[in-house]
Amino acid sequence: MDYITYLAPLFQVEVLWTIALGTLGGLIIGALPGLTATMGVALLIPLTFSMTPIMGINMLIGIYIGGIYGGCVSAILLRTPGTPASAATVLDGYPMAQAGEAGKALGMATIASAIGGLFAAVVLATLAPQLASIALEFGAPEYFALALFGLTVIATLSGDLLKGAISGALGILIACVGADPISGVLRYTFGLHGFASGFSFTPALIGLFALSEVFTQMEKLAKGKSKILNVTGRWPSRQDMKDSKSALIRGSIIGTIIGIIPGTGSGTASWISYNDARRSSPTPEKFGTGFAPGIAATESANNAVCAAALIPLLALGIPGDVVTAVLMGGLMIQGLAPGPMLFQNNPEIVVGIFGGTFIATIFMFIFGMALIPVFSRILLIPKRFLAVSIVIFCFIGSFAINLNPVDLYTMVGFGVLGWAMQKFGFSQAALCIALILGPMMEANLRRGLLQTGDDIIAFASGPITILFLVLTIFSICWPMIIKFKNNRKNNNSKEMK
Amino acid sequence: MKKYIIAALLATVATPVLADFPERPIQIIVPYGAGGGTDLSVRLLAESFERNVEGTTIVVRNQPGGGGAVGTSAALFSRADGYTLGSGAQGPLAIKPHIGGTDYQLENVNYIGLFARSLQLLVACKDAPFTDFDSFISYSATKKPQVGNSGAGGANHISIEAFSKVAGIEVENIPYGGSSDARTACIGGHIDAMVASPAEALAQSEAGNMTPLFIMEPERISLFPDTPTAVEKGIDFTWSSWKGLVAPVGIPEENLAFLRESLKKAVADEEFNKKMTELGAFVVYEDAETFKARVESDSETAKAVITDLGMLGMNK
Repeated sequence: MDYITYLAPLFQVEVLWTIALGTLGGLIIGALPGLTATMGVALLIPLTFSMTPIMGINMLIGIYIGGIYGGCVSAILLRTPGTPASAATVLDGYPMAQAGEAGKALGMATIASAIGGLFAAVVLATLAPQLASIALEFGAPEYFALALFGLTVIATLSGDLLKGAISGALGILIACVGADPISGVLRYTFGLHGFASGFSFTPALIGLFALSEVFTQMEKLAKGKSKILNVTGRWPSRQDMKDSKSALIRGSIIGTIIGIIPGTGSGTASWISYNDARRSSPTPEKFGTGFAPGIAATESANNAVCAAALIPLLALGIPGDVVTAVLMGGLMIQGLAPGPMLFQNNPEIVVGIFGGTFIATIFMFIFGMALIPVFSRILLIPKRFLAVSIVIFCFIGSFAINLNPVDLYTMVGFGVLGWAMQKFGFSQAALCIALILGPMMEANLRRGLLQTGDDIIAFASGPITILFLVLTIFSICWPMIIKFKNNRKNNNSKEMK
Repeated sequence: MKKYIIAALLATVATPVLADFPERPIQIIVPYGAGGGTDLSVRLLAESFERNVEGTTIVVRNQPGGGGAVGTSAALFSRADGYTLGSGAQGPLAIKPHIGGTDYQLENVNYIGLFARSLQLLVACKDAPFTDFDSFISYSATKKPQVGNSGAGGANHISIEAFSKVAGIEVENIPYGGSSDARTACIGGHIDAMVASPAEALAQSEAGNMTPLFIMEPERISLFPDTPTAVEKGIDFTWSSWKGLVAPVGIPEENLAFLRESLKKAVADEEFNKKMTELGAFVVYEDAETFKARVESDSETAKAVITDLGMLGMNK
């Protein structure tokens, strides 16, 4: 392919300007709770009708990349994940901000997002057609095994294994509400039509993490324990970067792989990456207390997903998540059908999109870094005013997504649940993971058994399925092995004495 | 000075007579999420509407949930003044009420008109054990082919079951969470066949990932000149999905007439036709009567299939 001539149209002022505008717009959309990257892309598609394909599509990609990144801002500052992708960032980002290191936490998130995004963009530009075929290997049993493996995150994530398991099981039960994925029968809706599709995901997350935190803060305020936070700083320290190096690299790789597999998405990637970083860290106990590598792991993974999800979309015409499905609509309106033929018929578009992904990621980094002081000033607002505005945001954000009043009940219900869980030491994160992965596990288990005629051996016979099942067992046993080893070491040293 | 005051007074009195409808934006409720096929085509329609009917502003509002039932219900039970319309889709109108979980029936629907049809093909997936209509039928005599659909009780579940009934074959339905999941499984060779639109089938069959078996139209189409219809193979079966505009019952006659007339103008727009064709939709205008007859006929067919599947009133 003649890269230089194909890349030239990207460097026109109006094209760069459009990408920058898209990225900045996406960043703001992502930072506002309840406005998701999906919505941003969908609502701006009509704007691209009059643009050239390169300009229009790259603006949409800018919104996508900016939007996924922007989600970390409200997750870190307000404990409100702006998009489901950044729910895992709450774990270490929010404690860091509360410890007066908001700027540093945002800086770490921005650097991690840029590294993850650029890594996946390189993979996209060099290996797209080859890697896309991996995506096709995933049938129902493979998805089931992947989801099962993802659920083992719960075991390492929650300090108290029993309480973690209870939270996870509760999440899976909650995810059962709504239409049965195979037969379509409504389950546990108690005759309320509004719950026919189950609890909406984003309102549930907003309630679980943000509203519950407002309740907790209100309790603290009532006891008069509030303090003004320090918000200076932007760049993570050299020590932070050193600690985060392996989390960044592994997060980028995990995000890229998960991104290529259609139907998994950035939420899954950031949890798996977080778990991986924690397990492989020499200091796993620091995770969850405001530890920079925790942010590095989740943000590098979820932004790697953005570019990686474009791989099956462009190479096969398969959208990996909701945003890329919307992007596909945008491409088709321009008269370009994604798929293997796109590489042959319109190489200039493909190369243009590769280039646009790089440019949008770089813009994201610049804008993100520049806006950190502005964003962190939010925390200077006295807590009692901030709490009120967060409550308003919780309601507006939950309603704006589907304009469905039922979502408000969902948000408030999950808010109360989240507050109670926090108070009694149950992991909200475990519940969140189960909400994401439970439905994926159930639907694919039943679909796979339907296809094999209830033959469990045939179901679990594919090499990828076996790989993930082995990883699952390993992941559950790992903490026990560590414990066993430590005990032996302690015993040995005692004996030596 | 007096003159001006009188003129101004006259103007305020006169305005309501001059521009009686619409004097504020008209809202179209799309019962699916932003960015999907229905949403994009309604947005294109809204654009054409504003261009062709002077003084109209259209606001597209997405209200997804319950397979389209939530948004459709919101549109059908909105204030009957002509300012709130719904995007009428096959699933929530002709199919869902039979399964249950909706608070409306077809008698609650006021038809404005139909603006597009989505043609449907049955395609063989990658590595399927059949490659054309005849081998598909003969294979199904020995083993149930696994046919993916976009969800139990969804439009392409009902259509393949309706076909099987007429053709006297049996298939194994594999439900997915949406048509793009089913397409992924099809291209990966995890299912044998699926119902696809001409646009998705064209790109994938050029790449060798899908093979069209037959088209569910009365006649062959120019995009697939070599693909037979079921009718010419002696099976009396046609099916297509559609997109139209609906409204609550009881809106004022003149507003209804205005809306029906305006839709006709918007559909005739050249730019609209071009963009819709690129999206893979088949633009066709049908007036309220014809649209109503189509919905009722599809509803009859769907009811029979749903009864056979044991899903009648399942979610009441």
